[in-house]
Amino acid sequence: MSNEAPAISRRQLLQLFGAGGAGLFMAACAGPGGGGNGGNAGAATTPSAAASGGKVSGKVSFAHWRAEDKAVFDKIIASFQSKNPGVTVTQDISPSNDYQSSALQRIRGGAVGDVFTAFRGAQFVSMTQAGIYSDLSSQPFVSNYVPSLISSGQVDGKQMGLPYQVVFNMPITNQDLVSKADGGTPPKDWEGFLGMCDKLKSQGLVPIAWPGGDPGNAGQLFNSMVMNNAPSDDMCAKIESGDYKCTDDWFIKTLQQYVQLRPYFQPNSTGTAVEPCQQIFATGKAAMLATGSYHIAAVRGLGAKFTMDLISPITTTADKAKYEGIYNATFVLGVNSASKNQPAAVAWLQYLSDPQVAGDYANGTSQNVSVKGVEYTNPDLKAISPWLEKKTLLAPRFQFNNLDVRNAVEGSCIAVVGGKSPEQAAAEAQKIVDQKRPK
Amino acid sequence: MAVSLRRSSASATDLRGGQPAPAATFPETPRPPGGVRRRRGGATRVHPALWLFPLPAVVLYVIFFAMPTLQAFQYAVTDWDGYSAVFRQVGLSNFSTIATADDLFRNALFNNIKFLLVVVILQTVLSLLLALLLQRNSKSSTALRSLYFLPTILSSVSVAFVWKFMYDPNFGLINQTLGAVGLDGLKSSFLGNDATAIYWVALCQVWAHTGQLMVIFIAGLQQIPAELYESADLDGAGRWQRFRYVTWPMVAPATAIVIAYTTVQSFKAFDLILGLGGNPPKTSMDILSTRIYTTFTNSQFGYAAAESIVFMLIIALVSFLQRRAVRLTQPGA
Repeated sequence: MSNEAPAISRRQLLQLFGAGGAGLFMAACAGPGGGGNGGNAGAATTPSAAASGGKVSGKVSFAHWRAEDKAVFDKIIASFQSKNPGVTVTQDISPSNDYQSSALQRIRGGAVGDVFTAFRGAQFVSMTQAGIYSDLSSQPFVSNYVPSLISSGQVDGKQMGLPYQVVFNMPITNQDLVSKADGGTPPKDWEGFLGMCDKLKSQGLVPIAWPGGDPGNAGQLFNSMVMNNAPSDDMCAKIESGDYKCTDDWFIKTLQQYVQLRPYFQPNSTGTAVEPCQQIFATGKAAMLATGSYHIAAVRGLGAKFTMDLISPITTTADKAKYEGIYNATFVLGVNSASKNQPAAVAWLQYLSDPQVAGDYANGTSQNVSVKGVEYTNPDLKAISPWLEKKTLLAPRFQFNNLDVRNAVEGSCIAVVGGKSPEQAAAEAQKIVDQKRPK
Repeated sequence: MAVSLRRSSASATDLRGGQPAPAATFPETPRPPGGVRRRRGGATRVHPALWLFPLPAVVLYVIFFAMPTLQAFQYAVTDWDGYSAVFRQVGLSNFSTIATADDLFRNALFNNIKFLLVVVILQTVLSLLLALLLQRNSKSSTALRSLYFLPTILSSVSVAFVWKFMYDPNFGLINQTLGAVGLDGLKSSFLGNDATAIYWVALCQVWAHTGQLMVIFIAGLQQIPAELYESADLDGAGRWQRFRYVTWPMVAPATAIVIAYTTVQSFKAFDLILGLGGNPPKTSMDILSTRIYTTFTNSQFGYAAAESIVFMLIIALVSFLQRRAVRLTQPGA
């Protein structure tokens, strides 16, 4: 054992800890907004030169939430890489709930998501405000898209994102059952819709499988229920801004109509998750699945053999109905402004915008796309493609930018199906809206 | 080594004007092995180099716990959205909003208290009951212990998915069983009933963790000396009296651990709620942790930080009250 003095005494060590602690304390006191590319928040940048014929190389991270599309994207990536040997594209997939919650913080640093996606609505708005989307307005491949379907990707006239998927957020129908009940002509008014539900119920069927236990999917019916009842098309934005209230007559009427639908949902519908609803529908026990066309592939996967189509309840008389259905342009593709490999990222986006490639994606995933000139060979897509030409409203529920406001408003619809009076449910929802509305 | 001893001698030398102290005046204190000696107060003095050993843990703790906590205080007085370089100082308005004009936060707090009470009471009682039944080291007891412990090794998300389908009103095992035995009147929408949803979630938590706490109770029960039961028998104590006057006081330390652990666990039931109630969950299943997460998701970092601070204070208060309550009922705890 040595008697030599150690290099550090306890006092020195404590001083060291103290100094370190003080340093970390000062670091903790650094102002918010210092990390990532926060300094660019709100500023639109134009990505580096696109693949304008030149060679691109490097790694591209493609961040999205569609795990079910992974295999199709893998094939597309393989084909892209064979044409661009210097580029490697990897998919960074998060579950949709996680993506909704944390994508902004993960992507803004640029380490992942050279090319990324966003949900239309609150997430797209936050991401553009955070300056993550690059301005794609000058990219030639933007003209490959149907202009009306990518308008929701514009901010202040600039094309920041490209909504890739076109989804119909309205009930899917089992045509074998529904056509017998409606005589081959879809109901044009509320009375007709209730009459059709009555006929289906009298045959021992569940007219509408509605996942009231899954707020995200239950809220899709809300789109159809308000599209013709509301005084304007931006009704949800106006509820959030305070111009409309949940206690307004049109909204109370909507809640009363939910009450009328209650007997036509499966028993205990407010506690039913989406998977059992898909099962009831796929096995032919329910005539409608009140979610959206994005569930067609899942229902086919469960063994459904019947023909499928779409239907939207018309909540007014035929003459007052402005819209026949609902669509949403989502999966908003963009190039990360913090990406270190923008040329390759733009090249990947350009490849996805090719009608042939978009067709492969659409037919492989049973999703319509916003790219022009795509040939739909998938029978289900063929069946619903006429809806691309019909008078449909861009899904209004995504006008809500505050999740608490959206949940309160849509939650009132679930509450009335659960037995609460429309007036009480509306008043409770409005109280939350008033508290949570952006000031 | 023995730095402290050498320093003591040096001090003694200095005090005497540089004259070396006579050995007889300052006898050499015997040096204990390892270089530490017992001080007058009875505490041990550690070699300073040993203070380096906790350094990595301290650094990690400061970076991942202390700094974020300090930052939460800083953000809590701003309206920062989580990504902008610009923000406003809003003083204590976030806290006053939480206290006076946030029904969702209040709802989450009440839900959390309901959840906590059900979980703490049921989980403690059930795990103690199972421990009493299975404390003997027989083959069947060991097998049953393993069985009851099994849910603990499942992730909360798996538990949530298992119970999501158990509770399904149409295909779920519970309603199907009730229907099969003619008790259709008891069928429920479970998680779809706003008044009772949080209790059904609490039952999942109890199911998942009772076996884990049973193990802690078994360890506590097996440490009770057999002589105490023998004297209780000699005094003519019955089953209840043996439990009341021997088992219950002697298992007090284990009970304190179980209750403290269960309380913290109840506040952390985040993934179970999201798995059962969706993200964000329905208000009927929203608890404080999920409420704060939703606020973060809404890009309201400043407000969410204020909610987090209130959350910390609530946990501290509940833990303090609980320890007081346990001490009152079990002096040994």
